[in-house]
Parts: sequence; C-alpha cells; structure tokens
Amino acid sequence: MGAVGGNTTMMTDHAWWRSRRVILIGLALGLCTLLMSAPWLVSVAPGQEEEEEGEQLPAGFVDGELPAEPTPEQLENGKKVYFSKCVWCHGVEGAGDGPGADRLWPRPRNFIQGTFKVRHTFSGELPLLEDLFQTVTHGLPGSAMPPWDGILNEQQRRDVVAFIAFVLIQDRAFDDDEFEYVTKLELDTLEPIPTSPESLEQGKAVFDRLRCAECHGQEGRGDGNPFNLKDDWGFAIQPADFSKCWNFRGSRQDPYNVRNIFRTFSTGLNGTPMPSFADQTTIDERWHLSNFVNSLCERDDEGNPMKIDPLTDKPAITFVVRSGFLEEGATIPDDPQDPAWEAREQRFIGMAGQIIHKSRNFVNKIDNIFVRSLYDDNDIAFLFEWNDRSQSIKPDDLEAVMPEETPPSGDPIAGKIRAYGPFNDAIAIQFPTDWANLTPPEKPRFIHGDSKNSVDLWKWESDNTIKAYTGTGALEPLVEREASSAGLQVVFSEYKDGKWTLMVKRSLAAENEGDVEFVPGEYIPTVFFAWEGHNGDYGIRMAISTFYSTILEPQIPASVAWYAIFIGIGIVIVEVWVLTGRRNRAQGKAV
Amino acid sequence: MPGFIEGMMPVQLLAEILLIIVIFVLGAMILDKKMGIRIPMLLQAALVFIAGWWYYKFRIEPPLPFSVRAIYQVMIAIGIFMWVSSAEKGWTEFKRPILAVLDAKTPLTWWVRAVLLVVLPLSASGMAYKNLLPSLGEPIELRTVHPAPPAAVTVHGKKFPLQTSESPVRVDESGEYSNHIQDAHVMDNPFDPDSIQYMQNVKEGGDIFFQNCHFCHGDNLNGRGLYAYAFNPIPANFTDPGTLAQLQETFVFWRVAKGGPGLPREGFPWASAMPPWEQHLTTEEIWKVILFEYWHTKYPPRTWDE
Repeated sequence: MGAVGGNTTMMTDHAWWRSRRVILIGLALGLCTLLMSAPWLVSVAPGQEEEEEGEQLPAGFVDGELPAEPTPEQLENGKKVYFSKCVWCHGVEGAGDGPGADRLWPRPRNFIQGTFKVRHTFSGELPLLEDLFQTVTHGLPGSAMPPWDGILNEQQRRDVVAFIAFVLIQDRAFDDDEFEYVTKLELDTLEPIPTSPESLEQGKAVFDRLRCAECHGQEGRGDGNPFNLKDDWGFAIQPADFSKCWNFRGSRQDPYNVRNIFRTFSTGLNGTPMPSFADQTTIDERWHLSNFVNSLCERDDEGNPMKIDPLTDKPAITFVVRSGFLEEGATIPDDPQDPAWEAREQRFIGMAGQIIHKSRNFVNKIDNIFVRSLYDDNDIAFLFEWNDRSQSIKPDDLEAVMPEETPPSGDPIAGKIRAYGPFNDAIAIQFPTDWANLTPPEKPRFIHGDSKNSVDLWKWESDNTIKAYTGTGALEPLVEREASSAGLQVVFSEYKDGKWTLMVKRSLAAENEGDVEFVPGEYIPTVFFAWEGHNGDYGIRMAISTFYSTILEPQIPASVAWYAIFIGIGIVIVEVWVLTGRRNRAQGKAV
Repeated sequence: MPGFIEGMMPVQLLAEILLIIVIFVLGAMILDKKMGIRIPMLLQAALVFIAGWWYYKFRIEPPLPFSVRAIYQVMIAIGIFMWVSSAEKGWTEFKRPILAVLDAKTPLTWWVRAVLLVVLPLSASGMAYKNLLPSLGEPIELRTVHPAPPAAVTVHGKKFPLQTSESPVRVDESGEYSNHIQDAHVMDNPFDPDSIQYMQNVKEGGDIFFQNCHFCHGDNLNGRGLYAYAFNPIPANFTDPGTLAQLQETFVFWRVAKGGPGLPREGFPWASAMPPWEQHLTTEEIWKVILFEYWHTKYPPRTWDE
C-alpha cells in the first residue's frame, strides 16, 4: 500500500497527472498500433471501422463530440468528493480495489481502462460524461452502488465524474480526438413501439434468432450460462435475470421503462460478454425485443408493474402473508397452476445475506422469494417460488461443510463463484413454537430463536426431503423432530428454467411435541431462509428475511353486516330530522 | 414534483404549503377583481379541503397513516369553517346553496336532494362495513429506538462504564483524548499517508465500515445499503440528526458491541438484524468504526455536559 499512498499525495499536484498521462498516451499509441496489426481484433470497435470506410452507422446512432476538458477547480472539487465518498470501494487509484471491494459482488468498477457498461455510445467506445453522471445520480441497482442524488448536489456529481473521467481513467483519454470516437445512440429522438401481443411475438422471434437464451435462459431468468462467463478483468459474472428488472444496473430507478432495455441491447455492456446487437437488428426489432424482455419482468397480482419503494429501489414489501380459506369441504389443490392458487395473492419476500453471525454470507444470490398460502378445514399449505440460476443437488460422496468466512482482503469473492459444493439448494420457514403464549410484540430471535423461546423450522432441501427442526439460537445446532418431519408433506416440487416451485403442506393442529399450531385470525410471526447450493450456502451461511406475519384469513362475522345496516338507518333518521326541522322553520317563517 | 432534500423536508413542506396558499388567495383575488369571475364560497371551501387532502396523501413520502391525515383534515375543516363564517356576507353566500338543496324549490335542487338522501346512508353503511372487516394489515408494533443504556458494558473481558469511558482513538497530535479534534479535520483526505493519528484512525474505521457495515447502513451511512430493503424497519440512518448526533459515543459503543441481541425488551432484541460486533471486531476496531461514522456524517458526538 506504500506506493499507492505515495500517489495520493502527489495527486494534489495537477502537473502530476498531466505528465503521467503523456506517458500513458504514448503507451496507448503503441498498444493501438499493435492491435491494428491483429485483424481478429478489428471487430472490437465496429463503429470505428465503419466510419473509416465511410459506411453507414448502425441504425439509431449519430456522430457525437468528445467532451470539453474540465477546469482545474472542477477536478479539485471532484477529487474531494471522490476521496470522501467513492474511494472506499473504488480505491485510491480508481482500480476498483478499495477496502470494501473484496466483499462485494458484483465488484466495484475499475476505472483505469475506461470500460463502462451503461452507455449511450457504441460498443467499445468511452461513455458520455452524461452516462457517468446518470450512473452516479441513480446508482446501479442490484449492486452496492447507491443513488447519490440528494446526497451530492448536481455540481458535485458532475465534478466527481470529471475527476474519474480525466484523472482516474488512465489507459484512454476523453480528449484524444485521434483515437476516440463518439457514436451516440439518439434515444431521445426515438419513440418506443407500444407493447401488444404482436409486438411481443416479434420480440420473442428476435430473442430466439439472436439466441439470447444461451446466456439468459429460456424464460430469461439468467440461468442459461451461469458459471462460465467472465468480465474483462477475469472476474466471474452472471447473466441478467429479466424477471427482476429492478436489479438491472441500467434501470435508472425506472425499471419497467423499455428505453433502458433498448439502450443496453443497442450499445452492449462494455467489459462483459453482452455485445451490441445494433448491427443485426432494425430499430423496430429492438423495440419489439425490449417489449418482450420487459414483459418477462415480474408483475403484481393485477398484472401491473410491481410498486417500487423509492427508499430501496426494490418492490415495496408488505410484511404479512395472508393464507386464504377455501370453501368448507374443499381441499387445497395439489397443482400450483390451479385457479385457487393463481387467484391467491403473491407476497414478495426480500432476502438479505446472513452477515450477522459467522460464517457470514456477503455474496447473497437469492435476493427474494415469492410466497402464497391457502388453508382448508384440516391443513395449511405454502407455495414458494424463487429464482436460482442453477439446480444444485449435493453428490452423495461430498461432505457438506459451512465454508470459512471469506477474509476481508486479498481474496476476491467474485472469482470464487464455483469454489464450493454444490451443496443442496434449500428453503425454510420458521414460526415460534409457542407464539400463542408470547405477549405481542415479543418473539423469539428471528434467526432460529433463542434459549428462552424456541422455534419450529421446516427446511426443504433439493434432494426433496423436508424436515422439522427445533431451533434455540443462531449459533446452536438445529435439532430434528422426526415425528414432526413425517407430518410435513412436499406436495409439489420442480426446478424449471431457473426457478424453483415448491408446495409444502401440514395439519393446522399441532400433532407432535414442538409443532406450531395455526389458528385463524391470529398473527403468527414468520421468518424465511434460503440456500443456493452452488454459492457455498450451508448451515447459517444463507439468505434471511426479517419477521413477517402469517395470518389465516378469518371468516367475516355476521355482526359486521348488522353494524353497517344500523349506521345506514341512523343516517336516514338524521336526514329526516334535518329536513323536518327545515320545513317546520320555513313554515314558521312563512306564517 | 421535486424530491425532498435530506434533512430539509419540514422546511420544504412548510414553504410549499405557504406557496400553495399564496397562489390560491392571489388566484381567487385576480379571478374576482380583474376578470369578474367569482368562485362560489362553497366551491372555494371544497377546493381548499380537497387540496389539503390531496397534498397530505400524495406529496408526503413515506405516506402518512390515515388516522394522522384524518386529524389534519378535521383541523383544515375547522379552519375553513372559521374562515367562511368570519364575515356575515361570506357566511350567507356559503350557506345559500346548502339551504337551496334542503328546500328543493327547483327541479335541479330537488334531484340533487333526492340523490343525496339515497347516496349518503348507502355510502356511510358501505364505508362502515369496509372499516369493520378484519383489516389483516401489518400488525403495528412500536419499539423504542434509543432505549436506556446499561450503566456499563463488558466487552472482550473489559468493563466500560458508559458515563466515564472515552474513545481511545479520538486523540489529538499529542495522543490525548480530544473532543474537538474532529472539527478541524472533517474535510481531510483519510487516504493521505502523512495525516495525523486521528485521521489514520478514521481511515481504519472506514475500512472496517466498508467491509462490514455498509451492506445495511449504506455507502453514505444513510441506512440504504444493499440489504436494507429486506429489513423492517430499514437500518438506522446516521445522516439523520436523530441518530448519531443525539447520542454519546459510549452509547454507540454499547449498541455496536452488543448489537440486536443486547437490546433491552423495549428495543425489540428479537427483530434487530444488528450483529453483536464483539463477535467479529476487536474493541479498538469498534471504537475506530464509531470514530469514522461521526467523521463521515460530520456530527460531533454528544457529550455529558450538553
């Protein structure tokens, strides 16, 4: 770190980066000559090639201009912002290696090469400064990069972008008009084609023709090629899951806007295996594709875009799971496609990495699950659906162990994507064993209870076993109750196209020692846990939710209707009284 | 609508409400005096009432609960009543359409009265029915955000009385505890290798924060980290003047070292996702990360003489 620190002090002197850049430009020139002689690399920058040959630019793109050089004051101010807010992840030299970097996935951007994903410029080109400004403003959802709007004012954001672009990027230069081109996607002048069944059909045709499923999977859940993709720096990355558009880095806090998809599809994501498809598609085809990809994103029960919480940029969460009652005599359907299940509200459950107790899970892969519930006269069932890019089932000869916690530095997690297991994928739901005797709001601790108040935890694993455990603390082993395990029934389980579907059923009554009892109309504290077997998830290295409440919807008591009728009659009496009073007064006056 | 600037929301709201009132009064005056269009008093009153309802329902984020908005609406109604009844002329004008409907002397008023007579009891009983249904919403649980601390905490075998302990890393150039060292260095670059001991401690605290804490408390310490959305309530926002700025450094030391499980009952220890950091960090590292949090938010820790 000594040399790195030395550079920091030198950076106070502007002449330093200027002189250093001259050397770098020289190096870049040499490198470029070398590259030009290798014909297989020409395709890296198709925009440049076409321009030189006088051919037409890809549809939707126009020639743009390189940005003007910032003032020294801007750079000085931007540097202050950088060394207060950004340096912790992006590092002293902007190499994406700050103190926080090694526990992040995706890793922070390495600025040195000038490679950026979210741009309006053609594949391989530097971004517009406006692109970087929008990234700083809106953040990169699905990563640790937050929106800085409201924290840094506009001038600070523009200044820090100038500092990154003109000081930290070292391998290329924004004002290098000999080697840099700006071919700008004119997104503002293009009008999206409204979505329709025909448009979606054509979009699907483009999706198939360009073989998007090879990486993104048949249903777009990012399960096509989950383990073999690397970025320019050799770090493992995974394809986007189209059903979680709120995690699109380029969503600009507007995840259901097709313009974002159109932009990514047209420009590609520099530094990743995602290419630009502008050369192979017309503008209309790109809008159809964008409509199709947007249609794959999760919708609410009415088919509308999920309501996004402006505080978190994720779907807004309601911390209640309501279990619906089937008509008397009816039984819970076994088929998740059954209309009774389809009509049931689907709850979004936010999941975080368990980073509270060792071994901590800093790289959490299951960031939400969906839950529905139904109950009948005897049983309650939960239907879990969650995306997982790989089906993980532990081989018999592999011993599952909880991996050591990753050291804080020098061990990039992103490179370790297949280092463990595979262990079993798994999901669990947990209730306080004795919730009825706890005075609300008291509960057992949310991770596996505590020594005073135990929990009843049902854990299903991808070898299709389900077991009931008693938990007495996060650091205590879970103890299986075999009689209770036999009372749990896996009604349906399936892994298909990057998604697990699981239906679990149990009796409402507590039939064995340690079983939770379900009573209609009562709030029963509920916590969810999930494991992704290819991520090394095992034991308490897992994904966790916070407390939810399960409530079995009670039947409506008849008294409710009676009260309503009484109130209506009361209003009629008041009306008669007012009108009579008014008439009497009018007559009195007349007399 | 413009967003809210963090920490400035009350001022912004007051300014907006003032602006709306000025626009309303001026608008009504211009319409009346310059253009000769007189908005009937009843309609004016209704407009003010609806504008208030709309503003409180849709402008304020996070949304106000209905019960709070109902109180505001009652106060708005009282205000409107005082305003329309303040002058005899206005009061007569306000009453006229209401009395006309009650008397029902023209076909129009007769029909309006007939419709109202039917609609009022029906909607009232409908609303009553809806409100009496079991709500099945989130149970309301109110926890104490900053519960009373214990007299002392024992961390890694050492006892720290909260009243008398001092941060061993908040030191000036001579190595002595200094209450004011932060003031002179809030704009310093923590990565400057020639910086004083205090700034090096800040930097080391920052390293710990960005390896452990930002996942929940966020890159700007505003409680909007990568995992924040999964928790309820979302993690503490240190940039809010109601958190770090209100607390002694030793209180924060107790909270960090003992985490959620160390909370007293009124703080809901079962629901907090805050780890007991003594399981992961040394005592000195805990003091350093607290030092960093005060430095980054620029709030001085509260002292006993305040």
